[in-house]
Amino acid sequence: MHMPRFHFHIQENGLFISDDEGQEFADSESVRKEAVATGVSIARDAFTSGSARRVVVDVRQEDRPFLKVSISLDVEEEASHRKLWK
Amino acid sequence: MVSASITEALVRRLRKTSGVTDEDIKAIYALPITVRSYSADQAIVREGDHPTASCLIADGFCIRAKSTSSGQRQILSIHIPGEIPDLQSLHLQVMDHDLITLTEARLGFISHSALRSLHRRRPKVAEVFWRDTLIDSSMFREWIVNVGQRPAPSRLLHTMAELRERLKTIGRVENDTFEMPLTQEQIGEAMGITAVHVSRVIKQLRADGVVDFQRGRVKVLDEAKFEELADFDNRYLHQSPAL
Repeated sequence: MHMPRFHFHIQENGLFISDDEGQEFADSESVRKEAVATGVSIARDAFTSGSARRVVVDVRQEDRPFLKVSISLDVEEEASHRKLWK
Repeated sequence: MVSASITEALVRRLRKTSGVTDEDIKAIYALPITVRSYSADQAIVREGDHPTASCLIADGFCIRAKSTSSGQRQILSIHIPGEIPDLQSLHLQVMDHDLITLTEARLGFISHSALRSLHRRRPKVAEVFWRDTLIDSSMFREWIVNVGQRPAPSRLLHTMAELRERLKTIGRVENDTFEMPLTQEQIGEAMGITAVHVSRVIKQLRADGVVDFQRGRVKVLDEAKFEELADFDNRYLHQSPAL
């Protein structure tokens, strides 16, 4: 069975990391799962370390767009809370 | 008497880490060992098996792994020459995980009956092997801390730092490079992240001038950065019997 090859390009804020190697997948559900798991895994490190607030996994089949997973961090903090430690 | 090349790495390690005597070493050399060659990615023993021998890695790398019911595999440990990764099957009859070759490997199988008989004749050897399995569990505790608490770059560097320390004991580190024959997918299975995340981490560590990882070899680019990020303290490896 011929398995198509997918490239997972990552964007963290302005930083673009291209995936030249790629991986083969048997079906689109596996591609989707891998893209989500990758986004979550990278976002966990990037968000907790503060290195990025937005992670995008741009999956392409050869050169064609296939799917895109975007994960953003939004923290809403009440200004009044800051007084608690004064 | 088996060729010393089979037990060389084991003896080298035991001499350094556990204070064995020359008499003990002679008894270990005299063990009946059946040597078999394995190709890469071959199961040696699988979960559910009832092995009657334990295997000493004479050459090559192995891993222990276990999968969830949905098929997600977790690599639990990486093993190098001189180690007996399934020594536990001497006392725990059924395998609770898989032992698999990573690379081509030469394995020396020592029957459980021969090991039992050696332990009865030489209690010191039994103590040394007991100590070995305790260090094995200490490494698992560290693995849990690593996978559970460190961010991915430190997690990978810590695993590299430990492997380097163990390879040093058997003389397998050349200058600043050593073998870590895992694919990015296998590193992902060990670290609990996806292969794409592994690739991203490796690229970052190379760009930051910390380590270069290519085709299963690690080259440390900046020792100070490597040590700082790896957060590695070798105490848990208990490499000296005196400490």
